[in-house]
Amino acid sequence: MTALLAVARYEFRMQARKRSLWIAAVLLGGTLVVLQGDRGPRSLPVGTPAREVMATWALLFSILMPLAYGMLLADRLVRDRRLRVEPLLESLPVGPVARLGGKYLGGVAACGLPGLAALLVAAVTELPKRHDPALLGWALVAFAVVTLPGIAMVAGFALVCPTFLSVPLFRVLFVGYWFWGNMLAPAFLPSLTGTVLTPIGDYAATWLLGSGQTALFAGTPGLLPFLRPDPSGASAALSVAVIVLCGLIPMTAAALAAHRATRQTWPAKA
Amino acid sequence: MRLTIWLHEARRAGPAALLAPPAALLLTAAIAMFIQLSGAGHERAERLLLAGLEAVAPLSVAMVALTIVVRETCRELHLSLPTLHLATIGRRLGVLGASTAACCLIYAAGAWLAGYRLGPGGAATLLVWAAPALWLAAFAALVAAVTRSAVLTSSLVALIWLAEQIWATVFVTPALRPLFLFFTSRVGDGPGWAANRIGLLAGGLVLLAATAAVLHRPERLLTEEDA
Repeated sequence: MTALLAVARYEFRMQARKRSLWIAAVLLGGTLVVLQGDRGPRSLPVGTPAREVMATWALLFSILMPLAYGMLLADRLVRDRRLRVEPLLESLPVGPVARLGGKYLGGVAACGLPGLAALLVAAVTELPKRHDPALLGWALVAFAVVTLPGIAMVAGFALVCPTFLSVPLFRVLFVGYWFWGNMLAPAFLPSLTGTVLTPIGDYAATWLLGSGQTALFAGTPGLLPFLRPDPSGASAALSVAVIVLCGLIPMTAAALAAHRATRQTWPAKA
Repeated sequence: MRLTIWLHEARRAGPAALLAPPAALLLTAAIAMFIQLSGAGHERAERLLLAGLEAVAPLSVAMVALTIVVRETCRELHLSLPTLHLATIGRRLGVLGASTAACCLIYAAGAWLAGYRLGPGGAATLLVWAAPALWLAAFAALVAAVTRSAVLTSSLVALIWLAEQIWATVFVTPALRPLFLFFTSRVGDGPGWAANRIGLLAGGLVLLAATAAVLHRPERLLTEEDA
């Protein structure tokens, strides 16, 4: 456990110091603030409950900001191979599973930092207009249930998939998936939009809104109807759990493969 | 000798990079086939095939182009050679362009033979994919050359691509129309289509010229963040 946390801490510090993460996050988040239109949080009337305001901000930032996290983590494991430091890392006393898990946790934490910062800045800028200190509390809740699960899922796939798909192909598929699986209306083409699997946080945001309206497409009829329960607190919790578990699937597969490879090569190393 | 150096640069660009556009197109075609076979309709499958040609192919070319510009493990060694760095990167991007053109032509011909209509037909169909691919790839190459960061460049390419998909109605307005990559799949090939394609081609050429100007001073590329 100590080794896992040590790797996670190092990974977090390394990723969080990358200028490109912050610049990309600011550009993507800034674009959303500018282009949010009439349905955005700035258009919500004064007196709107704080949880609704922060849910709308969290959903708005979830539309594009996870792209930066996916792009950042896409070449993380591939880079170890390309720079040929993998054999060096294998000589360390830390096992491959702890190394992989630490990179995942550190990566999620580092990517969560700009997401959290964006929500807190949004809450602070809303304070003079709405005079509700609860905005800060709901910003944290919205981060935990809307933003963070999506980052966990994106990080799992972004770390593992490029190792067998190649980084450029992963980036293409990731952008295409993000549009198809989160924002493309199910009526337009069969898609995963509106299911509990959407990492954009549709179900959790709908639950936070609490107004009976869906945030985007949560529960809209379409492909795989069993993944489209009616939006509620329970379905929001289910969605958060499913999204996090989905992110752990590629990580588990990669950890098993790494563990097996280490066991197979161990006698030769000895 | 000339062929040898082009083949060498194709290898240096990397098979993984050059396989991305055909793989993305193949996946799109497979999903379209699934949609057709599942009874969702010929029109939906055609719409997806067109999106593959006009949206997915340019995105994949752009992602590979930025990888080619940013990733060069022997850049210092290369700068000591008499061959211009600009010429080397240009050859690699040329190989990418040629392989993408071949893939898109095969894809469009296959779709046409299967009874799908992708764009205005004839030689003009070339512009369905060539214009957005040139613009987006040139934009990716320019940003990659300026920032030397694959993360930043790929995020910006993704931003442009997704923003034009999400806020398509904004980009259809006359002021932004020359920048709209998905005119065929979102509006059609009627009035304004040709002007949009010419605008994209012209913009792409300007971006390529700007990229060449930046790459003309390759020593600036020695401090990339992701190396």
